[in-house]
Amino acid sequence: MKPLPGTDTREIHRRTFLGRGIAGLGLLGLNSLLNPRLFAAADSHGVINPLHHPAKAKRIIFLYQAGGPSHLETFDNKPKLREMHSKPMPESFTKGQQIAQLQGKQLVCFGPQHEFKKFGKSGQEMCELFPHIGSVADDICIVRSLWTEQINHDPAHTIMNTGSIIPGRPSMGSWIFYGLGADTEELPGFVVLLSSGRGGQSQPIAARQWSAGLLPSKFQGVKLNSVGDPVLYIQNPHGMSAQVQRESIDAINALNRAEYSALKDGEIQTRIAQYEMAFKMQTSVPGLVDMSKEPKQVLDMYGAQPGDGSFASNCLLARRLAERGVRFIQLYHRDWDHHSAVKSGVALKAEEVDRPTAALITDLKQRGMLDDTLVIWGGEFGRTPMSQGGDGRDHHIKGFSFVLAGGGIKPGITYGTTDELGYAAEENPVSVHDFHATMLHLLGVDHKRLAVKFQGLDVRLTGISGDVVKGILA
Amino acid sequence: MGEKLTCILILAAVSPAYAEVRFNRDVRPIMAETCFRCHGPDKSSRMAGMRLDLRDEALKRLPDGQTPIVPGDPEKSAIIQRVFAADGRVMPPAYIHKDLTPAQKQTIRQWVAEGAKYEGHWAYQPVQRQTPPNPNLNPIDAFIQERLTREGLHPSPEADRRTLIRRVTLDLTGLPPKPQDTAAFLKDTSPNAYEKVVDRLLASPAYAEQQSMHWLDAVRYADTCGFHGDNAFPAWPYRDYVLRAFRDNKPFDQFTREQLAGDLIPNPTIEQRVASAYNRLNRTSAEGGLQPKEYLAKYAADRVRTAAAVWMGSTVGCAECHDHKFDPFLSRDFYSMKAFFADIKETGLMPDRGKNAWGSQIDLPSPEQQKQREDLKAKLADAQARLAAKMQTLEPRRAEWEKQFLARYEAGQLAWHTQRPLSAQSTNGAVLKIYNEEEIDYTTYDGSNLTAYRAPGNGLVVASGPNPDNETYTVTFKPGAGTWTALGVEVVQDDSLPGLRVARGADRMVLTEVEAEADGKKLNFSIGTSNLNMTAPQHPAAAAFDGDPNTGWAVATYNEYSKIVLALRFTQPLQTEAATTVTVRLHQDSTYRRATMGRFRLQLSSGDYPWPTSEKGKEIPDAVLKAMRIAEDKRTPEQKTSVANHFQWASHETEPEAIEVAKVDKDLALLEAAIPRVVVSEATTPTETRILARGNWMDESGEVVQPAIPAFLGKLDTGGARATRLDLANWLVSAQNPLTARVFANRMWREFFGIGITKALDDMGSQGEWPTNPELLDWLAAEFMKPEWQAEGTHPWDVKHLIRTIVTSAAYRQSSMASPELQERDPDNRLVARQTRFRVDAEVVRDISLSVSGLLVDRFGGPSAKPYEPDGYLATLNFPRREYSASHGDDLYRRGVYTFWQRSFLHPSLVTFDAPTREECTINRTTSNTPLQALVLLNDPTYVEASRVFAQNILKHAHNWNDRVDWAFQRAVDRAPTAEERRILSDLYRKTFEQFQHSPAEAAALIHEGEAPVAADLKPTELAAMTTVARAILNMHETITRN
Repeated sequence: MKPLPGTDTREIHRRTFLGRGIAGLGLLGLNSLLNPRLFAAADSHGVINPLHHPAKAKRIIFLYQAGGPSHLETFDNKPKLREMHSKPMPESFTKGQQIAQLQGKQLVCFGPQHEFKKFGKSGQEMCELFPHIGSVADDICIVRSLWTEQINHDPAHTIMNTGSIIPGRPSMGSWIFYGLGADTEELPGFVVLLSSGRGGQSQPIAARQWSAGLLPSKFQGVKLNSVGDPVLYIQNPHGMSAQVQRESIDAINALNRAEYSALKDGEIQTRIAQYEMAFKMQTSVPGLVDMSKEPKQVLDMYGAQPGDGSFASNCLLARRLAERGVRFIQLYHRDWDHHSAVKSGVALKAEEVDRPTAALITDLKQRGMLDDTLVIWGGEFGRTPMSQGGDGRDHHIKGFSFVLAGGGIKPGITYGTTDELGYAAEENPVSVHDFHATMLHLLGVDHKRLAVKFQGLDVRLTGISGDVVKGILA
Repeated sequence: MGEKLTCILILAAVSPAYAEVRFNRDVRPIMAETCFRCHGPDKSSRMAGMRLDLRDEALKRLPDGQTPIVPGDPEKSAIIQRVFAADGRVMPPAYIHKDLTPAQKQTIRQWVAEGAKYEGHWAYQPVQRQTPPNPNLNPIDAFIQERLTREGLHPSPEADRRTLIRRVTLDLTGLPPKPQDTAAFLKDTSPNAYEKVVDRLLASPAYAEQQSMHWLDAVRYADTCGFHGDNAFPAWPYRDYVLRAFRDNKPFDQFTREQLAGDLIPNPTIEQRVASAYNRLNRTSAEGGLQPKEYLAKYAADRVRTAAAVWMGSTVGCAECHDHKFDPFLSRDFYSMKAFFADIKETGLMPDRGKNAWGSQIDLPSPEQQKQREDLKAKLADAQARLAAKMQTLEPRRAEWEKQFLARYEAGQLAWHTQRPLSAQSTNGAVLKIYNEEEIDYTTYDGSNLTAYRAPGNGLVVASGPNPDNETYTVTFKPGAGTWTALGVEVVQDDSLPGLRVARGADRMVLTEVEAEADGKKLNFSIGTSNLNMTAPQHPAAAAFDGDPNTGWAVATYNEYSKIVLALRFTQPLQTEAATTVTVRLHQDSTYRRATMGRFRLQLSSGDYPWPTSEKGKEIPDAVLKAMRIAEDKRTPEQKTSVANHFQWASHETEPEAIEVAKVDKDLALLEAAIPRVVVSEATTPTETRILARGNWMDESGEVVQPAIPAFLGKLDTGGARATRLDLANWLVSAQNPLTARVFANRMWREFFGIGITKALDDMGSQGEWPTNPELLDWLAAEFMKPEWQAEGTHPWDVKHLIRTIVTSAAYRQSSMASPELQERDPDNRLVARQTRFRVDAEVVRDISLSVSGLLVDRFGGPSAKPYEPDGYLATLNFPRREYSASHGDDLYRRGVYTFWQRSFLHPSLVTFDAPTREECTINRTTSNTPLQALVLLNDPTYVEASRVFAQNILKHAHNWNDRVDWAFQRAVDRAPTAEERRILSDLYRKTFEQFQHSPAEAAALIHEGEAPVAADLKPTELAAMTTVARAILNMHETITRN
């Protein structure tokens, strides 16, 4: 299959929406397109149709821990590093390697700052700061052998999200929305939520991270805000009632229909449909973000207070988005950049994310949705086994940890290792592209075949590398 | 399957079966897609030793005895056997998912049978001026009609005049025609009526604005640095250079040289140095801990990608890590190109604040500014000399002063007295609450960690609730009996405040004026200072009491974690009794919106040394204290200076001289802040450039390369000297380079037909597309370089001539209506048997609304403008924490090309309509059609305000319903409405009028959106209802579509 919007010229996009973009649906006309429920049986409403192979996951919730969580205080226990605490880092590990703020400094081992223990029947080992995630140990897969190639936040986020450091490539959510479409007509297929921790380590995050890049902007991530309008421009103008808005949209669509009857330009029909969808979004989004009707025990399970914009509230909102057919939901929680005070810093983060992460997995499981929802927990890189300033850790790219659950992931296992000091991925290293390939695989997509033509190249999320990590598939 | 079918249909539509198969047109595209990745130029991925992109190689017998291609004998040719194989030997292998169609297989076979004739890639052949097939036509029409005839098609008739003038006005200026222009054109019966319109438009400044927009995409021009804190850097004078270049029709070769190498032109003009900012527009980072070499490699790679895409239409960027898989660009070529830019002075970590911010730059004072600057500098030197002389006279008293002063300090007599407010009121609605003994939550940031705690307010005033753009806080307190020398304003930090953690908005907190009185008697200030780590020069303490509401003292940088205090000394010491009430008014009338204090305290000093602090024991800064405790002869020069400064601050006798210095200093700082600056290229000794294996910047084992153009395109003759950026620029616009003119002409074609002659605007290489009309493209390229057709008054590389030639062609003037069969035959309009209809660009969507409504301010050039933007949009930016602050007045209504381009968070309305972030060179914008676009046009305050102002004008310009709708339609879409359209709009008016009559408050709210004045003579309900009508018209698909 030769995917389309490749060169992104105007004439292709126009037909993208009505015809080829929703491959195979073009002939069914606009009504079907706008009412995806007519295709309830279909696995995909995007360009990948049919799927390349049966999907295990239908949607993804990515709990993105921004700033670079220390693997050494979360999911990768290193007793040897504890033993070596305060001793010089053996040069054999670090010679010729990239280093960020520790450039030119003396490199000293810095032992794990918290204890680890085993959880669940599977006996998965995690930092004891995460007892709630521990309580779902048998549902999750810990990957300890991620590695990346970018050592500063911005490029590292960019490669994690887009598979490339060159700006302008689509983010993974956009790729997936483009490939599979969404099961909702009232909400965007790719939604982004952001929360900040209470520790003051909030590195910036650019909108590039959820950009559609060279794909049409329809596939961009839409940020749901916890303050102000939940979606930009979703509120009617001041003084404009829902009724006046409805009458205005009716008039605009009537004017556009008059133009269509004269010109028969399909683009006008699309425009009409988009105004209808906009109105639907306006009416459905307030209900979506209003969590006041969630039962108290659910709010308590997450530790969420409606309207507080916390990671906990966003986890609950993520479940609500998943229920409503959103394909890719990405939660950023900032504040993991522990150059100093890693001990108290990670403890504070654990307070913020441990309970809601576990609650989301439990909640999805209780609703029978975990089987086809892939939950991902991880950040753009890990942190050095070496001390920075005596109480912190610097950025680190050679080895770090992710947690995966549901959606066709083998539960209750730990996959891959770093070396004895937690420096470099050793057994079963997983590159960012391997991770992407695996994620797409679970969605029924062959990562090599989800591509668009751009500047003469087949651009893919996985670039020219990436292998499915078979060892973590259920 | 559906897709494949469509692709074949398109191919069938544009390439009827040719008698003879041609390599470039027919075979190369297939091979580039399927064969070359393993059998092409990239030796590292070559398989079986087979290479098919070169004829000599493809005809060689391989070690296994096979011969890939035997000309004239398909059956003996290994590739034919493999292509047609039915088993696992089939090529291309199944796993690459590039199966050949039967037609493609047949094409390859036929080509081999016909002798396997290779051709060099079309774009790399010299541009050949083609002779137009019909000398009586505009050559464009001659080429197009020849092709149409071959296809059995006919051109479409000319569009009607209304459509035509709207089309050409939108295309050339990005604005709709004015009704009077349309009327004049409709009346003009002269044979060259249309050409006159074209010439008028080409001569307008709006033409330059429209052309610049696309050029700025290509050169990735933006107002912020893109990485990390994404802070603003001085770039807009470069944008104005581009505007002037298009306005003045600067020859494109000169335009090219000035941008790539303006600084290297002998005795460069200021203009040429400004142009050289082009090389500095790449994203830069100021993130601590970055590895300079890594970022220098990123910056350089960006420059190669950009130059290659902009001028060569080539994807040389691929060769950063490996030889190009499809085109003859080698890794060596990439690094040789990179070496051209190795002379640019820069650092890997590009500081985004402080005196080294943004590296090499020049300032651009106007002659008046230059004169003022010289005058002020002279005045400042005089004033400083007088102050120094005065200090000299006091010098004998200093030792004694120090002694007494330290004693008073140690006795605690220097402490400030924090005041307990009795009342605190705001003018514009913010709710001020006083916390004296009451406890309150604090969350403070010390530069690395947040600390949350609860403590008594101790006189703290906290603003909450409504958050207006400007505020005046009035606070009263009773200090009790005493004598006071100074007022202190303590700005209290809290993490809940979005503007640098001190302001309720913006990226700074500005006190424009501080006023004080005691029992109604005004108190004057003589001199002031603050304890900021980094004072913004244009925001000195003196600006807080200069009587000028446009100036102010500000907290404006983000590394202020200490307790910030502004100390203002009273002209006369203030004597108070027990009952005296002091009133302080804190005016915050900055043009930065919401640059207002969130939390503050007031304090008084009774000492003669009111150095700003809010911490007991810190009345003398640590460093000064330390210096004073050292014997005079042991002090360093810095210590001596700081002690002298503090002695001066404590000495009332120097006040007249110090006031004069502060005043001139402020004037000079304000002038300097008003002088435009721009980053420029500055050449230095070139750094060594090595080939980096696989693009790995840490691998320094690669071969050192010298600047050179891609080897397959030739060699620069520099007489042995190292080639420079100027040599590169000269080559790009020389006859030896086959690419630049073709690339530019093709890009221009796309602007006027919606799609290029080859649609891959950014890839003229083998993975791009064979041009649908190569003769036409070559003729255009040749004509661009050296005009020959209607060439009077033209010059080489004449952009306006190229555009004029295109838009005066009959092809351009055709109707865009397509018959069903033409629509089916050529859905993408590659043959140009008609015109194309497409939505205008993001900036133009907004420009149209502003223009139609009457709000547009057409000022040419100048600093970037900030239209309204939703609150909180920048919430995930940091370094600094900030809120957006929209412009005021005219700057709210300027064309989109002037919009402040924040790379990491581009204005959401622009993003929604597919404007690129310009983090990277963008040649080809997408054009999508989404629900979010509907939300922008319906609800963005910019469009709501435009609708209301449009409605005001409708109501003023016509007096009955029909005339009003006519007038509105004429302005928006250059035509009268149909009966049905009238009915739709009159229904809308009637229904919404009723609604607003029932809820007048809603009408009032709607019409007060935006800053443009509301017409007081109009009834609010009528205006509100007409606003909905105007809004419907601005939302029509037709309004934002160029037909």
